[in-house]
Amino acid sequence: MRRIVGIVLAVLLVGGVVAAVVAGREADDKGTATKTVLGVIGSEKAEFFEDPDVVKALAAKGYTVKAETSGSWAMEGLDLDGYDFAFPSSQAPATELAAKHGVRGTLPRPFYSPLVVVAQKNAAEVLARNGLATLDAEHRGTLRMAAYVDAARADRTWQQLKGAGKYGELTGTLYLSSTDPETSNSGALYLAAASYVANGGKVVAGAADIARTAPLLHKLVSVQGAQQSSTDAAFRDFVSGAGNPLVLVYESQVAALLEAGQRPDDLVVLYPDTTVDSDHTVVPLTENGQVLAGLLATDPRLRELEVRHGFRPQGRTTEFASATTYLKQELTGVRQAPVPTSAVLHELARRARG
Amino acid sequence: MRRRAVAGCLVALGLLTACTTQDDGISGLSTLGVPGPAEPGTLRVLSSSELGDMAPVLAQVEKDTGVKVKLNPIGTLDAVRMLAEGKTDGRYDALWLSSNDYLRLRPDAARKVVSETPVMSSPVAIGVRSATVRALGWKPADVTWSQVEQAVQDGKLTYGMTDPARSNSGFSTLVSVASALSGAQSALTDADVTKATPRLKKFFKGQKLTSGSSGWLAAAYDRRGDVDALLNYESVLMGIPGLTVIRPHDGVITADYPLTSLRSTSARTREDVRRVTEDLRTAKIQREITARTHRRPVVASVPPASGLDTTRRRELPFPGTRSVADGLLDSYENELRRPSRTVYVLDTSGSMEGDRLARLKTALTGLTGDFREREEVTLMPFGSQVKSVRTHVVEPADPRTGLTAIRADTAALSADGDTAIYTSLEKAYGHLGTGRDAFTSIVLMTDGENTAGAGARDFEAFYARLGREARDTPVFPILFGDSDRSELAHIADLTGGRLFDARQGSLDGAFEEIRGYQ
Repeated sequence: MRRIVGIVLAVLLVGGVVAAVVAGREADDKGTATKTVLGVIGSEKAEFFEDPDVVKALAAKGYTVKAETSGSWAMEGLDLDGYDFAFPSSQAPATELAAKHGVRGTLPRPFYSPLVVVAQKNAAEVLARNGLATLDAEHRGTLRMAAYVDAARADRTWQQLKGAGKYGELTGTLYLSSTDPETSNSGALYLAAASYVANGGKVVAGAADIARTAPLLHKLVSVQGAQQSSTDAAFRDFVSGAGNPLVLVYESQVAALLEAGQRPDDLVVLYPDTTVDSDHTVVPLTENGQVLAGLLATDPRLRELEVRHGFRPQGRTTEFASATTYLKQELTGVRQAPVPTSAVLHELARRARG
Repeated sequence: MRRRAVAGCLVALGLLTACTTQDDGISGLSTLGVPGPAEPGTLRVLSSSELGDMAPVLAQVEKDTGVKVKLNPIGTLDAVRMLAEGKTDGRYDALWLSSNDYLRLRPDAARKVVSETPVMSSPVAIGVRSATVRALGWKPADVTWSQVEQAVQDGKLTYGMTDPARSNSGFSTLVSVASALSGAQSALTDADVTKATPRLKKFFKGQKLTSGSSGWLAAAYDRRGDVDALLNYESVLMGIPGLTVIRPHDGVITADYPLTSLRSTSARTREDVRRVTEDLRTAKIQREITARTHRRPVVASVPPASGLDTTRRRELPFPGTRSVADGLLDSYENELRRPSRTVYVLDTSGSMEGDRLARLKTALTGLTGDFREREEVTLMPFGSQVKSVRTHVVEPADPRTGLTAIRADTAALSADGDTAIYTSLEKAYGHLGTGRDAFTSIVLMTDGENTAGAGARDFEAFYARLGREARDTPVFPILFGDSDRSELAHIADLTGGRLFDARQGSLDGAFEEIRGYQ
């Protein structure tokens, strides 16, 4: 009976609450009243907020989060009236959103995740054989960005690489698939990392640097044809066996898959030796949004769950349980490229696409 | 009684083209999608027509989430155009196409999207009669597009595919074939398309069937019996008995069916879309999807259904600019494919006087913007008998002359006389004859029952006496005004055509939709 009353009430309330009641049934049964917090998030965090354990942990603190996904750079174009927070996948779009919505103070960055390349085994093996990558475990290795950038500059095809002949699927131009850099964060971060390498290990700043690196970036993007607009979609395609054998995703996406007990055989994680972290950054638009950001950064249970979803919480060495043959526990040997300013990054993305 | 059964079926599936009955031609009645009013708990989704096979899965999703998904079938290009022009605003709650690749090429459409989530995948493939595979000596795992091309050139392989301008599967097929045969190493450019044109032209000589939907294509293939293969999504081909499904070794384009929420909708609607998406990606539903529809799951914990080969294929990049995609489509329609020859058998009996005749003229005039180069169009207005036979060809060197003449003939139509449907159809078959390298078809538009000339029996006897090739010409009747549904359905069924309904939607819409079958 109590259940029925609950359902009727939920139906009478806004639609989203229905989901919360169903997902957070246990919490609800204890009679916890929660505040609903509405947010817009990058697609790679959707599963985190949908996880019943996360729903429960938030409910225990008095919150129900309803989150809609959007490309990080596309959030600028959304009407965020009525929303409590935006949660893009890195600092640059977050800073712009904060400026647009008059949010002051330091923006909370509860967790981060480096950009990695997921590779089909055959492709990883051929890259290693040709000096473009090194493999240090069955499912883990390092992508040599300088060598890759050189190959891209020379329009290198798979057919030109030693050992590719026996794999029919490895033909055509060698390239990394990324998302659309004008709307999605991982695509933009790819350009940040590649431009840093192409600019001789210096962050691109100013017109001369842009002019020097733009032709290469254009090449990296135009060979791909149509690009996915979200990192989640790009990773799904890879998982379903479709698409390019090399795809840029967040480490968190792979880690989440592994934490769920999956051990895909045909998957090698290549850490670019020069990469960029995605600093998942909260833009609190209301007080509730601010409290939520604090919980994500400090609540021990939520931090635990963040690890389960493959994110690296700030200020601690992350141990991804039982995933050692795929992931690096510590990001040693991976150089962090600084990200250009938003204006420069936008311009690089525009030129790369144009 | 029959009508009620169909209506019930429409309600049950929420999908107009999914209802197949014996008497509506070889793959059922088609009505242009008309979205219903907004209802809480119901999502009106503009979707690829082949998603009709998801009905049982969506019934389960409704049980899980309480959200009902109503699919309105549409081709990719039309969907993207509607989205860009704001015509989906307030009428549709979500979009679910086989892929958003084309959508992304149009910033004005891409801006209307909030989120998109792939739900399942299926690559473009070629389904070949098993006997033909043996005759060609093919090993299915090793077949390449070049081998397919060679077999077509040697006259050993004919095939059918859907119209790329109206169907998602046709468009993906066209891009796959063009990318593979152009030899392009990365995303197609305008130069690649130009270079590949002579090869593509030869390749498309092998196309003997065209269709606006995958369902009719399969039915027509079955009926014809003399077409060796079909190009379509793997999922569609796996559902057709007797086909060996081959994913060409040198590359495919894969549809990933992103369920897409729209900016024009409320946060509440988008929350419903999110919940449906979440449910569709649970292991339980993913297993259901792959088992029932032969599509591939997108979660790692669920393996593809048995029979789906998991060896890797190169993914061909989809063009990155609209000019390449549109240019390819344009050259397919106007240059690469076989031209079409169509007779429009148009009821201009006394009952068409006034508004009905005016609507017919508007619809036909509108259609002149859509005729392809090299197309032969015959207008055959009739009353008590055929009133005139006027044939025009859209010449590539001077397309305007033919189109202007069609418009002039349309403007001159006048209503009088009785309704001699069958006598006029017989005349249309006589006019088309045989032996031309073209897609031939007859469109029949009538607003009433047959009242003069030959009867249904006479026409059956006439049709039976036709040569085999002439019998391949289907009649596409359009329900309009007071036309007799069972009479027209019988004509569609007899000739392997398909019935179109202009009573609920518009006459323009019906004519437009038939274009996909011409």
